[in-house]
Amino acid sequence: MKQVTERPESSSEARFAAGAGPVPAGTQANNGRTTGPGTAPAATGAEATRPSVDTPPVFEIEKLTVRYGGKLAVHDVSFDITEKRITALIGASGCGKSTFIRSLNRMNDLIPSATVEGSVRYHGQNLYASEVDAVQVRKRIGMVFQKPNPFPKSIYDNIAFGPRVLGMDGNMDEMVERALRRGALWDEVKDRLKTNAFGMSGGQQQRLCIARALATDPDVLLMDEPASALDPISTGHIEDLMFELKERYSIVIVTHNMQQAARVSDMTAFFTVVVDEASGHRHGEVVEYDETEKVFTNPSDERTEAYVTGRVG
Amino acid sequence: MPVEARLHFSQELQALEEQALEGLDMVVAALERTLEAVLHQDIELASYVIADDDRIDGRYLEVRQGILSLMARQAPVASDLRLIAALLDLTRNVERMGDQCVNIAKLVPLVGREPPVEEGILARIDRMMRQAISQTAQCKQAFSRRDVQLAEDLVRQDDEIDRLNREIFSLALQSGDDRDAREWGATMMLVARSIERVGDNAVDIGEQTAFVVTGLFREFTDASHPEIESSVVH
Repeated sequence: MKQVTERPESSSEARFAAGAGPVPAGTQANNGRTTGPGTAPAATGAEATRPSVDTPPVFEIEKLTVRYGGKLAVHDVSFDITEKRITALIGASGCGKSTFIRSLNRMNDLIPSATVEGSVRYHGQNLYASEVDAVQVRKRIGMVFQKPNPFPKSIYDNIAFGPRVLGMDGNMDEMVERALRRGALWDEVKDRLKTNAFGMSGGQQQRLCIARALATDPDVLLMDEPASALDPISTGHIEDLMFELKERYSIVIVTHNMQQAARVSDMTAFFTVVVDEASGHRHGEVVEYDETEKVFTNPSDERTEAYVTGRVG
Repeated sequence: MPVEARLHFSQELQALEEQALEGLDMVVAALERTLEAVLHQDIELASYVIADDDRIDGRYLEVRQGILSLMARQAPVASDLRLIAALLDLTRNVERMGDQCVNIAKLVPLVGREPPVEEGILARIDRMMRQAISQTAQCKQAFSRRDVQLAEDLVRQDDEIDRLNREIFSLALQSGDDRDAREWGATMMLVARSIERVGDNAVDIGEQTAFVVTGLFREFTDASHPEIESSVVH
């Protein structure tokens, strides 16, 4: 299923130039998609990674291959990530989920030996074009990590950090309050904004990190196992928060918790480890990308089936 | 390699399926006894069928409990989830089939020890019941082998039961002026109705077979939209 809509390349080129204004979301037409979710019969072959969806893509990934020091890490990944949905990336350790999610906001740039082939288009614009400023990319595409990693500063300064570094205009107090409210943390911390963030519980620290990512006004939130270090109650808070956030943001989440993927996500991509017979080297590929309900009730690929049912560990 | 706990889950699920399918063997035995009781007006055997239905009900409760336990502990997904959903449906059908045997058995003593039997009707009851027994065995085989074609064939088989049911109805209407003969004929209509339901239960289990295999649930025949039947089935 090819996206047939032509996108004017030139008009979006300047989006990541320093000081560029906010990106208007959801402007793409949707001519190529006719089938509603859940009605298509099981897809086969190349179509299996192209489910029909009714919202425009925020990312279009074409033949993405990532290498570390020449060694293949993720090979030939192609699928669209849809806007204002939660997309879960699942798969066993070493299958390239984290490498993949890091390539969505150019975090791999920070690793000198990493090379990226293929294309990642964000609202139609090539994320890896030479004129694109990686700092601006990370402003619009925020990231939250497995372990809460607040700065050793006050709650207020944690949130204000990003906007200050980026020189964002506006009332800082208002920006901090807005980010903490969106992070579902405001009521819990509004009376102790000047206290050190390390005094918060693990779950609160993680929501602080989410709020910190939201402070720079992104439209995508990447989450790499955001709840794996948290208890079920804190996990529940994070998941509730994700549901609220998807009204406004596109969310991509890496999770090892299959039930979490089934609970929270709209779309699921299953990654698997491929072992090269000759060299014994392992890299990751995407086997199946579809609506979450389909993946967890009737997956198209037997490798997905084996993984989600726990028949391979 | 599968994780140890998951291996146990696989085995538990398999055992649960065997347990549920054995319920269909119990139904076959009950149907055979019920047929004997009707053909020979055997009131003793009929009361045995009624008492013995507790075993089928017990099996239904066991399987149901086993399914709830697996769902709570193992959070099954994909083909495991479809199998569990289908087994829940299958075991409910088994329980209903047992109840139809009880319904028939309860009718046996009502027509007295030596009712005025019309052989044409009784021969059709015999054929109908043998057909129901064969369909029950066939739906078990189709389910355990995940054989969708064999499952879909149940619809064709079930047409025979429906045809016999209609014939018994019209024969019973012609039972004449004798009150006892009319009462016996009307009772056989009720017997036929119960057998017809058993055939439908077997078709339902066939539909669950197709669901387990394909992930798509559709009724093989749709009683409320009979005009589209042929296009759906073939």
